[in-house]
Amino acid sequence: MGRRSRSGWGGGTRRGARLVPAESSLAIEDLSVRYPGGVLALEHCSLDVAPGEFRALLGPSGCGKSTLLKALTGLVPAPREAYTLPGDGTYAYVPQGNSCFPWLRAEENVAYGMKLRGVARADRQQRARALLDDLGLASFARSFPAQLSEGMRQRVAIARAFAVDAPLLLMDEPLSALDFQTKVAVQGELSRLWERRRCTILYVTHDIDEALTLADRVSVLSARPGRVLETIEVPFPRPRSYSDIRDHAGYAAAFRHLYTLLDSQP
Amino acid sequence: MSRRTWEAIALGAVLPVVLLGLWELASARDWISVLFYPRPSVVLERTWDRRDLLFDDTLVTSRRLLWGFVFGAIPGTIAGLAAGLSRIIRGLLYPIATALYVVPRIAMLPLVLVAFSINDSARIFMVAFSVFFISFFSTLTGVEGVERTHIETARAFGAGKIRLALTVLLPGASPAIFSGMRVAMGFALIVIIGTEFLASNDGLGARIWTSYQIFDFPSMYAGIVAVTVLGVVLAGLILVVERIALPWRRTDR
Repeated sequence: MGRRSRSGWGGGTRRGARLVPAESSLAIEDLSVRYPGGVLALEHCSLDVAPGEFRALLGPSGCGKSTLLKALTGLVPAPREAYTLPGDGTYAYVPQGNSCFPWLRAEENVAYGMKLRGVARADRQQRARALLDDLGLASFARSFPAQLSEGMRQRVAIARAFAVDAPLLLMDEPLSALDFQTKVAVQGELSRLWERRRCTILYVTHDIDEALTLADRVSVLSARPGRVLETIEVPFPRPRSYSDIRDHAGYAAAFRHLYTLLDSQP
Repeated sequence: MSRRTWEAIALGAVLPVVLLGLWELASARDWISVLFYPRPSVVLERTWDRRDLLFDDTLVTSRRLLWGFVFGAIPGTIAGLAAGLSRIIRGLLYPIATALYVVPRIAMLPLVLVAFSINDSARIFMVAFSVFFISFFSTLTGVEGVERTHIETARAFGAGKIRLALTVLLPGASPAIFSGMRVAMGFALIVIIGTEFLASNDGLGARIWTSYQIFDFPSMYAGIVAVTVLGVVLAGLILVVERIALPWRRTDR
């Protein structure tokens, strides 16, 4: 597969980060996951995410969106032949809820994944600082999570995921607990980070507007057991924002379509 | 210090001062036996007179406590972490630890003396034995209380069992480990003093016991004063270590 043109590649500050382009796609084929209790969370779920694509996953609550991400990370047992991961097979994960380690300072939280992957201390610190700087947290590098606001903590969790430069990023409703203004701000920062790196992102959300703001394509999952009902292209040009997608001619139709799909699920 | 702090100190001091005053008065007026209950001022004087001796004994007792803590808390914490990490280790350790935990430590003294003969390793073992179980249970409880999200985050970033234990379970359980240490210090003091009563020629316990046996009650009280001071100092020491070791716990914005 050839390199796709990436508008964000050369632009912006690269800050010495190693860019790992995801040259192969994230392919999930006929994945079924049954919990030990017998509940079937996912059934015949198939999904193909192109390299460097930002894919949003929408679905009614309890449909198995989180389970899908956990199956890919190995947190939930899943048949290994049912999916292939892009690039070198590494990934980073932003779990639902507050995932910052309270005993680590912001920059140490960001560096956590890099440390596990054997990045040298100086590089870790430099990259963590650069990411915190990108997210407007430069002066909070030495703060503990308890000293940060909810929005800052989610930024740290996002920075920690970007820091390992994995070809795949799995994000589970990272912004769902934030107030509206913070959410919109972090969406913008997340978009900019992704446009610079162009890793493949699988982004679980229940917010249609958020999916339309961030994603290249949006896949809608059915109610449990989850499978992909439909995938739509998001036609809006980038850079986008939560407010200006509404000016686009296709917005109302796209929103209505996704809304109807979600609403059709019990 | 704020006004509230001073108020708290003043309020807390009322009862001790009144009680000591009553004791002083009762002893001075011969309402109670001066032999058994010497006046607090006499006790203080005796404590001061014997300060060198008491200091040496305090060092002896402290050394036993310290080594007992090292040999009890470290294995106890490791065992607690292992039990929190592995269901098999938990299944092996939990029942026997629960059973041994309820045995009064001092009841084990004769057995320990037989096993070690009467020397410092026996006394240190008594302390370690009491501290071990408290550390084990507090660590295990702490590990079980670590948030699932934190464990899943670490695992998703590729942490194996050892890394998970060191980077998430141990720091996550550390507040529980420290509160266990504070409880353990109380237990350890009881056990070391009891052990020194019965099986030692030195240390504060031995000093208190021999003073009692020769009816030197002021010296006995002086020993009690020294033990109390030691207990307060050690409890404070654990707090200081906790504040240094867990800076993230005292993050008032």
